[in-house]
Amino acid sequence: MSETPTVAETAARKDCAEARAALEEYLHNELCAEDAADVRAHLDECEECSAEHHVGEMLTAALQGACKDRAPEELRAKLLASLRAAQAQHG
Amino acid sequence: MPTATLDSPAMASEQTEAAKRDDFAEQAMQYADQLYGAAMRMTRNPADAADLVQETLLKAYAAYGSFKQGTNLRAWLYRIQTNTYINTYRKQQRRPFEAALDDLAEWQIGDAESFTASASRSAEAEAIHRMPSGVVKDALQEVPEDFRMAVYWVDVEGLSYAETAEVMETPIGTVMSRLHRGRKLLRGLLADYAREQGIAVQDATVKEKKS
Repeated sequence: MSETPTVAETAARKDCAEARAALEEYLHNELCAEDAADVRAHLDECEECSAEHHVGEMLTAALQGACKDRAPEELRAKLLASLRAAQAQHG
Repeated sequence: MPTATLDSPAMASEQTEAAKRDDFAEQAMQYADQLYGAAMRMTRNPADAADLVQETLLKAYAAYGSFKQGTNLRAWLYRIQTNTYINTYRKQQRRPFEAALDDLAEWQIGDAESFTASASRSAEAEAIHRMPSGVVKDALQEVPEDFRMAVYWVDVEGLSYAETAEVMETPIGTVMSRLHRGRKLLRGLLADYAREQGIAVQDATVKEKKS
């Protein structure tokens, strides 16, 4: 990279870097209101960071959709039985 | 609503020990699916997962006296399950490789800050969106345990970073780093799968040069 970036480009890069660093916390609602608002404002105007955020959202949604295990009925019955047995022991 | 209200301190203390235990089965069984889901992520097979949930509930029952009412029962159960898993199952398996993973340098896993074109990110988002859930689940199971569980607690179970730190008994910073690395690895695995299916997705783990 031999070309010197313009001042505006440097500033934009810095905004992107800051937003990217906070993106995961933003996605998980871990930022304070003020920081979250900063990230949101940047996402509104930056297509690339917004696309990156969208990948993150899709990943979370895919994980939630994929992990929908249900305890088998047989296990439920077994759990209740062993809890009752423990209760009986306790009196 | 139950008719017996706790209007005197005497009644309240009488209520505690015995009634608390009676109440436990009902309370805990509400989380059977979630405990089983977490146990499946830990043990990766239904038989061990079932045993782990049972052991967890019995330990929790025995320790229920020390549970502070009004605090997060779900997180408390997850923590007992995590400890039970570590103490019984993980000891048998012995995976020294994974223990060292927290120390891996960032570059060994890949650079999260790769500024690729938004077009390829859109393709990646779309590919993830269309990914069959079995593929996503398998990919998650491939991620090393500590990273996998951090992702599971936060992304699937919706625990806060602080709650996850309690469940995993680690500092919040460790949770964040495990989460970040776990998600990063997952993205790489899913991108690999998408490419195998002929979907053009830029390699998420390629480290780009920065000036």
